[in-house]
Amino acid sequence: MRRALHILAANPLTLTGAVLVLLVVLAALLADVVAPYPEHAGAVVDFLNFNKPPSAEHLFGTDLVGRDLFSRVLFAYRISLLLGVVVLVISVPVGVTLGLMAGYLGGRREYVLMRITDVFLSIPPLVLAMSIMGVLPPTLLNGMLAVTAMWWPWYTRLVYNIVRGEKVEGYVLAAEIIGASKWHIMFREILPNCVPAVVTKITLDFGFVILIVSSLSFLGLGVQPPTPDLGSMVAEGARYLPDSWWLAVFPGLAILVAVFGFNLVGDGLRDILGAEQ
Amino acid sequence: MILQIENISKTFETGSHRVQALDDITLAVEAGECLAIVGESGSGKSTLANIVLGLYPPGRGRLVFDGAELPDQRSLALRRAIQLVQQNPLSALNPRRSVGASLRLALDVHDIGPRAGRGARVRDLLAAVGLDPALEARAPAALSGGQRQRVAIARALACESRLIVLDEPTSALDVLVQAQVLRLLHRLRQEHGLTYLFITHDLAVVRNIATRVAVFQRGRMVELADTEALFSAPAHPYTRALISAVPVITEEEKAMRDRLGGKP
Amino acid sequence: MTLLSIRDLKLTFRLWSGPVEVLHGISLAIGKGERVALVGESGSGKSVTARIILGLLQEQRNARISGTVEFEGRDLARLSARERMSMRGRAMSMIFQDPTSSLNPVYRIGPQFREVLDRGSPGISAAEARARAAQMLAEVSIREPDRVLDSYPFQLSGGMNQRVMIAMALANRPALLLADEPGTALDVTVQAQTLDLMRGLVADHGTAVLFISHNLGVVREFADRTYVIYRGRIVESGPTAAVFGDPRHAYTRALMAAQPRLTGGGLPDIPERDPAFDAPAIHHAAGGAA
Ligand SMILES: Nc1ncnc2c1ncn2[C@@H]1O[C@H](COP(=O)(O)OP(=O)(O)OP(=O)(O)O)[C@@H](O)[C@H]1O
Ligand SMILES: Nc1ncnc2c1ncn2[C@@H]1O[C@H](COP(=O)(O)OP(=O)(O)OP(=O)(O)O)[C@@H](O)[C@H]1O
Ligand SMILES: [Mg+2]
Ligand SMILES: [Mg+2]
Repeated sequence: MRRALHILAANPLTLTGAVLVLLVVLAALLADVVAPYPEHAGAVVDFLNFNKPPSAEHLFGTDLVGRDLFSRVLFAYRISLLLGVVVLVISVPVGVTLGLMAGYLGGRREYVLMRITDVFLSIPPLVLAMSIMGVLPPTLLNGMLAVTAMWWPWYTRLVYNIVRGEKVEGYVLAAEIIGASKWHIMFREILPNCVPAVVTKITLDFGFVILIVSSLSFLGLGVQPPTPDLGSMVAEGARYLPDSWWLAVFPGLAILVAVFGFNLVGDGLRDILGAEQ
Repeated sequence: MILQIENISKTFETGSHRVQALDDITLAVEAGECLAIVGESGSGKSTLANIVLGLYPPGRGRLVFDGAELPDQRSLALRRAIQLVQQNPLSALNPRRSVGASLRLALDVHDIGPRAGRGARVRDLLAAVGLDPALEARAPAALSGGQRQRVAIARALACESRLIVLDEPTSALDVLVQAQVLRLLHRLRQEHGLTYLFITHDLAVVRNIATRVAVFQRGRMVELADTEALFSAPAHPYTRALISAVPVITEEEKAMRDRLGGKP
Repeated sequence: MTLLSIRDLKLTFRLWSGPVEVLHGISLAIGKGERVALVGESGSGKSVTARIILGLLQEQRNARISGTVEFEGRDLARLSARERMSMRGRAMSMIFQDPTSSLNPVYRIGPQFREVLDRGSPGISAAEARARAAQMLAEVSIREPDRVLDSYPFQLSGGMNQRVMIAMALANRPALLLADEPGTALDVTVQAQTLDLMRGLVADHGTAVLFISHNLGVVREFADRTYVIYRGRIVESGPTAAVFGDPRHAYTRALMAAQPRLTGGGLPDIPERDPAFDAPAIHHAAGGAA
């Protein structure tokens, strides 16, 4: 732990990232406590205060129906992070397992799995999610499904590439000669050697998932009102630029801060954990 | 006799190319001996080792181990009976697992000894190869090359196998460490009645550790002789060519090499 | 003329468990067309020294390097990553110690070889590259170059992979060849041929060779000068004939004594570590030999 702090201290960029991430996570966890107007997360209308520029009462100003933007941004973080967690909790284990199987078992399984993965990877992520969302009703759950469906192949590809290199290492041969099971070799011998790269990617992806979900909402396909979402806020606010600039700028900055923070931490982790690529 | 290698052949196909890696090898490995396999690079030494280890079946021929034919698909017990020590000890140990965990794996897979006693057994194994048992908690990266190779040897011992294949086990080590590891291997063979199939390119090592020598060239065994006999009167021209090319450091060796190798 | 000069090179790795100093101030020099050997303990820092010369460790963020490395009169530390990159594989090349992990396991040898040739002659055609590669492989005594070019590394024997690495490293006729244990997986006759090939390169193109090896016999036959390294320090250096004929440092003597003899006589019991090995370095005068 102390060593981790030392390393952070020696890497100002990683430290910056860590602070940003910490802020975002705290904001999401403590939204009810920190938000000045927690009830504004829902369908509240306050016509007396609508479309106000930033002030002492409303740090980020208010939106078109008078809700406190600062409070809504905090709650939007909560949704975004939750989405990120759900997407990654499903897609990482699936992607990693398939990557291990394709890379280690080889043969027909490798061929089939990797062709499927390539197909998914060849479709631009947003297009895939949009087409799924086009078929399904645009609910939050479906949004998560859509994003998850396009996320696992990245982990399959990443792990597959690592496994193909690890497979020729002597320790895998040694385990095979001892007679260890395929399951053991994949998950206990090879997987630990994929962990640094996977952890790094997870961190980077938190930023990207937030970005993708925001993009979907920006297109009206993601999180639906009145649930606060950074992407839809930017989309709505953009229509009132430049006069009511705060409507788009603050949610936009919020996205930037989160994505930037996770990226810096991911880069730092890559160095610290010694992951390649 | 512990292992009978009978008429083993193996052909590989790579695209449109065919290689005959082994061509009708017959060889009886005596219990307790250290049989060195030397020869041309690409002559099938590692292929033979892999077949003996059951990594892939021979194309033709059969293996008889302890009086029974070895099937292509080996049971866990048969796998346990023959172990391997590889050339590169760093790669042979999982960088993300402790030395103790790597040794423990062998005990767990084969259910050797009572579960509760396995931690102690791991430490005994480390002691048996001349390492401090406290090293069990270390990662392989925190060991020297010689220590890593000792761990790899301990792992082979853990399986309590009687036949160990060593594929260039000391070529990645400096000669000082090599001497210690070779002495260890020699001692273990005597103490535990082990049999070694020792693949190497270093004829000086062969001279000092092997009891018999098989010389391979292009997938064939061209000479098989007791070590003393081979180094006093090599019979096959290829063996002589090999001996004549050994780089040496003393004048006596040079004289011997030139006499045996047929150089003026 | 000095081609490469290293002065007081230190290297520290920052690891989770704390910093580890691996090189404690290495100085060595290699002249144009000179064959210099670096022998010594496993883990003493031979390969990292070569990787620093090649500019590979500079890019690893947990490695801290001090001291100077000058190549053709230019300080490597002053070069940009890009300049170092363009030097690699052309002005200097390396035969890596572990061929199986230095070759990419997922590509066939042919395309990997072509990439190497492309660095030396940009835009070389596929057919031309293949012909050149096949010819280079034949020179390292590979009997079926075509099959080897069509194979993945795992389909070749250890010694064949090593020869592929050697052929690649020689392909662009570098000014400096870093040969890290180039013969460990080769039988002695093939090894002798590869040594001849390197000698030819030295004679014809004035290539300098840093030859890292555990094999004292090979070093004695190949090198003009020898450096002996123990635990990150040079302990003895000088013309090869002097170092082998009159080894003065305790570690060098131990190495010589531990070398197994073709004439037999068993393996001596010499400890791997000894306080006497930490004695100050001994430098033999250049004398008439070099
Ligand atoms: N899996 C494989 N697929 C195709 N060819 C193979 C395979 N394994 C080995 N070969 C070929 O079989 C031949 C013998 O290889 P092997 O590894 O047994 O040689 P070796 O005697 O161990 O050589 P070295 O001393 O260089 O290690 C080589 O020509 C090699 O290319
Ligand atoms: N990337 C790295 N990170 C941390 N430590 C390293 C790294 N590379 C090398 N080391 C350590 O530096 C030391 C020197 O390693 P190096 O590979 O240069 O040894 P060597 O002299 O080439 O040994 P050998 O003869 O066994 O090849 C070793 O103790 C090694 O563990
Ligand atoms: Mg081999
Ligand atoms: Mg090395």
